[in-house]
Amino acid sequence: MTIRGAVATQAGRLVHWGLRTALHRSASQLPGRVALAIDPQLIGHLRAKAVKGSVVVCGTNGKTTTTNVLAASLEAAGYDVLCNREGANMVAGVASALLPGEVADWAVMEVDELSTVHILPQLRPAYLLLLNLFRDQLDRSGEIDHVQDTIVEALAASPQTTLVVCGDDPLSVAVARRAQAAGTRVIAFGIGEDLGLPPDRVPEARFCQECGAELTYAYRTYAQLGDFRCPSCDFARPALDAVARSVEVSQTGVSFNVESAAAHTSWPVHAGFGGVYMVYNLLAASALAWLMGVSPEVFQKALDAYHPNNGRLQHFDVDGREVVLNLAKNPTGFNQNLGMLLADERKKALFVVVNDNPNDGRDISWIWDVDFERLAGVDAPLRVMAGGLRANDVQVRLKYAGIHATLAGSVEEAYAQVADLAKDVPLYVLTNYSALWPAKEELERMGESHE
Amino acid sequence: MSSTLTLRIAHLYPELLNLYGDSGNILVLRKRMEWRGISCEVQEVHLDDHPSFADVDIAFIGGGSDREQRIVCDRLLSVRNELAAFVEDGGVLGAVCGGYQLLGHSYLMGDEEVRGLSLVDLYTDRGSPRLIGNIAVQSRISAQPVVGYENHGGRTHLGSGVEPMGRVLHGHGNDGVSGEEGCLYKNVVGTYVHGPLLPKNPGVADYLIARAMERRYATSELEPLDDAMELAANKAMFDRLMADEGKEL
Repeated sequence: MTIRGAVATQAGRLVHWGLRTALHRSASQLPGRVALAIDPQLIGHLRAKAVKGSVVVCGTNGKTTTTNVLAASLEAAGYDVLCNREGANMVAGVASALLPGEVADWAVMEVDELSTVHILPQLRPAYLLLLNLFRDQLDRSGEIDHVQDTIVEALAASPQTTLVVCGDDPLSVAVARRAQAAGTRVIAFGIGEDLGLPPDRVPEARFCQECGAELTYAYRTYAQLGDFRCPSCDFARPALDAVARSVEVSQTGVSFNVESAAAHTSWPVHAGFGGVYMVYNLLAASALAWLMGVSPEVFQKALDAYHPNNGRLQHFDVDGREVVLNLAKNPTGFNQNLGMLLADERKKALFVVVNDNPNDGRDISWIWDVDFERLAGVDAPLRVMAGGLRANDVQVRLKYAGIHATLAGSVEEAYAQVADLAKDVPLYVLTNYSALWPAKEELERMGESHE
Repeated sequence: MSSTLTLRIAHLYPELLNLYGDSGNILVLRKRMEWRGISCEVQEVHLDDHPSFADVDIAFIGGGSDREQRIVCDRLLSVRNELAAFVEDGGVLGAVCGGYQLLGHSYLMGDEEVRGLSLVDLYTDRGSPRLIGNIAVQSRISAQPVVGYENHGGRTHLGSGVEPMGRVLHGHGNDGVSGEEGCLYKNVVGTYVHGPLLPKNPGVADYLIARAMERRYATSELEPLDDAMELAANKAMFDRLMADEGKEL
């Protein structure tokens, strides 16, 4: 490492120590920011710390969970891992996560899609995992074409990186085909059977990005994901290197077999949480872990012990009532959550919280692309509340979906509004990004997190 | 009001022009008609259709990405004359973001000038930076300020006879300098305001419905609705933006 890199590292660590030990604050961003100010090439200088290499996880939905599961499985296999577990996924967050310790085996980094172009050329990871691409934060990210261009550019600047891509997602596959044409090695994963799930609204990717014809599907799994092909050119789901089969998605979680034709092997994976989107996350994590030398048994053991307590699908007991907290920050994420809610056959209450802080996206017009109408049927929640900085907008959206919602200023207030309902009626709290941690803190104060 | 009243909406290319929750605009029009006993038929116009506007009361064009907007414009040009006849006859046309740009003589895609529909005397060129953020507009078609979100690189310039939809109270509007936002021409409303446009601006929704009722049934009287939630959402955003204006001064 250069002297400048060494000074930057020490400065970053000093800030880390000050924040964590002296001030008891989160140190997920500032140490990296300070160190990068001294040495802008810091990530390139720190990359050698991960002696076996690094993995970058990107994609609109599922980054944090997939990153954490993968890191946990590597640790369970005895490796030392550097990881930005809290999801600080831009340059400063990645630099912060690379600072601690002298040496590690692997670095596993969640990276914001638009930040890949800054991070890949320096980190030069062994693998880039691209989970999916959905419409999200249009005011910040711009149109999805721009996000795709950025990832292609990032891969071009890191030629030794293998792209592990969701072969079921036309938008991710479009990236993979361009990267492959430029020399990137590509591995594809996907679901190899029709799950017979009700289709949800598909705001994106109805048309072939290469020729403009409308894509056709043998089956869809969710949103625009499935076994797709273009009727007029050769754009289609690629041959899958890792396939999920015998997929079960239920109220109690997901299970499936991972099959790898090339490696002549298969193994089971199961988890006590998530919907079909989690099958993809865990399929990707499991396949990558296998490539990185983690046995399927160890991966499953790590998954069994995985309790991230990061507000994603977290269950709380508040005075005998179950409260389920989850992140829902874009139409696809929300629609998956509503599917999960409807699959719960109990009567329930729902609190929808939408903020419009910069890290959420200031433009919340996407709430009109969420199928709240699905909630208005016979299984309608007993009570629905709207909260967050844009509570009024959510209330209007729900009104036009045929759902009367009241306003609630906090989880505590929402909880109070359902006090008269029987205790076996769970309260679902769905929040977007910046509303998640405050909601989690409230719930930790009000009750107990349980598995 | 008799339940035999029917209004027909043509939603143009919803699978392509749907960038900013535009389906919400159609939903709001439909609900506000149905709540008043006016039945509403929505006809989605797709790429391979050859739409007729003879029975249409309200046509709606949303916004899409550049690539998608280009595909749509090529198709729309083939029905340009019919659409122009619809507009000249007083047909109601709502156009948002990219759809608004399509109304004019031309707009820029990259550095290429793309021919528009020439339904309204306006054209769009480009400036830097993109004009992004919450917006509030004072308009004669709505009792409340029109509030929403804008996100456009285009700068739209109105011909001398074209009235803007309103004056910018907060945000950028057509070109960021004139203080004007959107356009009004006959029964056409074009605007950069999305969010989407109609849910928080029930006045604009009812303006479109009333114009269509007048043309089809010679009555523009609309039964009042309970808009407490819509107006609260409108006011919450307007108050926030005005507080920001105060800070900037």
